[in-house]
Amino acid sequence: MRDIVVVALLVSGVACILLSCAGVLAMPGVYDRLHFTSASTLGAAAIGAAVTVRESFSLIGNKALLLAVFFLVSSPVLVHVTARAARIREHGAWRLRPEELEVEEP
Amino acid sequence: MNEWLVAAVVLASLLPPLAVACSRLEPMEGVVALELAGVIAPVALLLMAEGFHRQPFADLALVLAFLSFAGSLAYARFLERRL
Repeated sequence: MRDIVVVALLVSGVACILLSCAGVLAMPGVYDRLHFTSASTLGAAAIGAAVTVRESFSLIGNKALLLAVFFLVSSPVLVHVTARAARIREHGAWRLRPEELEVEEP
Repeated sequence: MNEWLVAAVVLASLLPPLAVACSRLEPMEGVVALELAGVIAPVALLLMAEGFHRQPFADLALVLAFLSFAGSLAYARFLERRL
């Protein structure tokens, strides 16, 4: 039973990372590409979970868990910083301009 | 070759296209590809550690993950205004 769970986590993790890589390579523009980096974090977490399930809480199992948690925490920070940098690079300011705050009426 | 090493080879094969994307695309898009490579490379090292039963590769994966995070942050901040 444990082997089935490990293989399922491993395959799903690798599939997530493959799809993420295909998205990053295929999409146009920095914002579209950024959306697909999140899927790779999910894949990394699945692979870390696969190692932890197989090895239990041994030395390598704990390291895999730590790696997965680190990716889950750091990925949103990295995506935010990159999107913010891209916006500043394009428009020169981080905050929204007044005309961007207006909601268009239907 | 066990399933861990097969997965490691599959993930490692994704790194050259990302390197090409880094060098060919606009700088900010290259940073996105670099961030993805910063996730893939530590995971491939972790899979190699499990496949070869070598603990030090897992340490290397952790160090690489921390350093690539810091490097990506530095690149993003640098590209924000200076290039």
